[in-house]
Amino acid sequence: MNFLLPAHNLEKWLKRLAAWAKIFYSFTENGKAHTIRYNPDNFISPDFKNIRTAENIKHFFFPSRGVVARFPTVLDLRPEPIVIMGVKNCDLRGVDVFDRVFLHWQPVDDLYKIRRENTIIISSDCPEPMETCFCNFVGLKPYPEGIADLNITLVKSGYLIEVFSKRGEDLVHADSDLFEEVKDGFVDEREDTRRRALERLDGINKNRINDKIPGLVEKASKNKIRDARDDCVECFSCLHCCPTCYCFLLSDYKRGDDIERIRTWDACYYAAYARVGGGANPRSRIDERFWNRFQCKFNYFYQYERIFACSGCGRCFSGCSAKIDIREVLSKL
Amino acid sequence: MNPYAPKLTKIKKIIEETPTIRTFVLEGKPIEFEAGQFAELTVPGVGEAPFTPSSSPYAPDLEFTIMKVGRVTRALFELKEGEIIGVRGPFGKPYPLNDFKKKDVFIVGGGVGFAPLRSLFLALIENIKEYKKIYIRYGARTPKDIVYKYLIPGWQKIKNVDILLTVDVGDEEWKGRVGVVTTILDEIPVDVKTTPAIVCGPPLMMKFTTQRLVEAGFKDSNIYLSMEKNMSCGIGKCNHCRVGKFYVCKDGPVLTWKDVKDIEDPFL
Repeated sequence: MNFLLPAHNLEKWLKRLAAWAKIFYSFTENGKAHTIRYNPDNFISPDFKNIRTAENIKHFFFPSRGVVARFPTVLDLRPEPIVIMGVKNCDLRGVDVFDRVFLHWQPVDDLYKIRRENTIIISSDCPEPMETCFCNFVGLKPYPEGIADLNITLVKSGYLIEVFSKRGEDLVHADSDLFEEVKDGFVDEREDTRRRALERLDGINKNRINDKIPGLVEKASKNKIRDARDDCVECFSCLHCCPTCYCFLLSDYKRGDDIERIRTWDACYYAAYARVGGGANPRSRIDERFWNRFQCKFNYFYQYERIFACSGCGRCFSGCSAKIDIREVLSKL
Repeated sequence: MNPYAPKLTKIKKIIEETPTIRTFVLEGKPIEFEAGQFAELTVPGVGEAPFTPSSSPYAPDLEFTIMKVGRVTRALFELKEGEIIGVRGPFGKPYPLNDFKKKDVFIVGGGVGFAPLRSLFLALIENIKEYKKIYIRYGARTPKDIVYKYLIPGWQKIKNVDILLTVDVGDEEWKGRVGVVTTILDEIPVDVKTTPAIVCGPPLMMKFTTQRLVEAGFKDSNIYLSMEKNMSCGIGKCNHCRVGKFYVCKDGPVLTWKDVKDIEDPFL
């Protein structure tokens, strides 16, 4: 189901959505895509053409630091409704991974669930992938085909909106006066945009990983292949900016008469990550931790869910001090 | 229900087992469990750590036998009877007791590793007629380090229970065997082709005991190993306890040698 949001109606729509939700969207500053909160008094135009934002979408469902339990007083979490616009397909792979871990794997994480249920995701095509992008390398396309509630494709007359969920459909119907029927040619225009994006990506990444990668990663890990990991300076940027990394740590803090249990993002590259109380450490060396990350993303998660826990967003490469490129590491195996 | 929130209870009793090992008996029974499953204990304001109960799943109380080794256990040892403690669980999979029926059960423990094995042992003797014979082989560093000294004589009198102890280093009063636990595994009086062997202890003990059991002819899938891993959430989400593709908190905490033998140094 498709609708057209004429370009001049976008700001009106944002204003109406902002009456009941916090709105975040992507915009471009100094050539880089970022996430910004909608402010009607200081409106900055969204940019749905640029690649994924520098900020990681997982913040919305899985804050880098957040209370997950309080006792003896019981935690009563009531998150405000949020609408995020301009999410790219790579970041939807992150949402997909998180949904599987926190919603599908038992027990359900109610804190993730309540945040996820209160967040509407409006994705957008990625018509101009950059050199750092490799969604096609991990089996994804530069445009969403689900997971989000609605998707936006830029067409000449405005924004072509594709409905993915009932929630998305309800959203369009709630402000139906702002949307128009889709005319002949809009969908063809979208297909042309997508074809060009795919061609561009094919030029950037000629290789694809497939179901042979889990075995190759396991072998490399066992054989302790050195190469790329020698460059790792252990800044852990790759893991903290990764939309699919879901490791966390629980720690308790006193707050008045209560104890708060705080969940913080963790990263498997930290030396103490797997160390036990008695001091033993199964991954005391960085090379062990380096390959553990690859095993997690390209072997174990694939064994659990038949998808790679990698989105090809390129944040790990962009943020890496040593410019270690997942594509290079995997292509050498 | 919030899977991260503990149930709060009080410490009913503390039993000093050895200079560094204590048994904490909790008030009421905040969680039900099956032998082999574990729980996360909270020391309020300090944090959590995973422990397997040492009491019988059928007992009215919930007990944990714990060695003082790290940050949380040091704080736990500061707590007195009557003070508040949190419990979250049960987590993980229990021992497959149905698969043990009509067979001998061969239990090998080391040090504080006897704690979860005691829970298993008490669950087994609750229905002892279901099993052929229960063997316990237990090693501690010195006679002072043997846990449940006050219970072992009673267990030795139970029909179809065979217990053998050893210490690495004896003292003047010690009349039993001296040597690491593998020295009392020279004679294995069971049918190794069918008997389950259950092992829990410190990493090195686990490693050498497993080697010995494999040499003796136990099947890889019949060697049950308690895996000690760093754990945070206990519910298969945080990723800390993963060993190979297994989440120790969800797929374990007991895995078989068949599961982990291809993993480099699985006991570390």
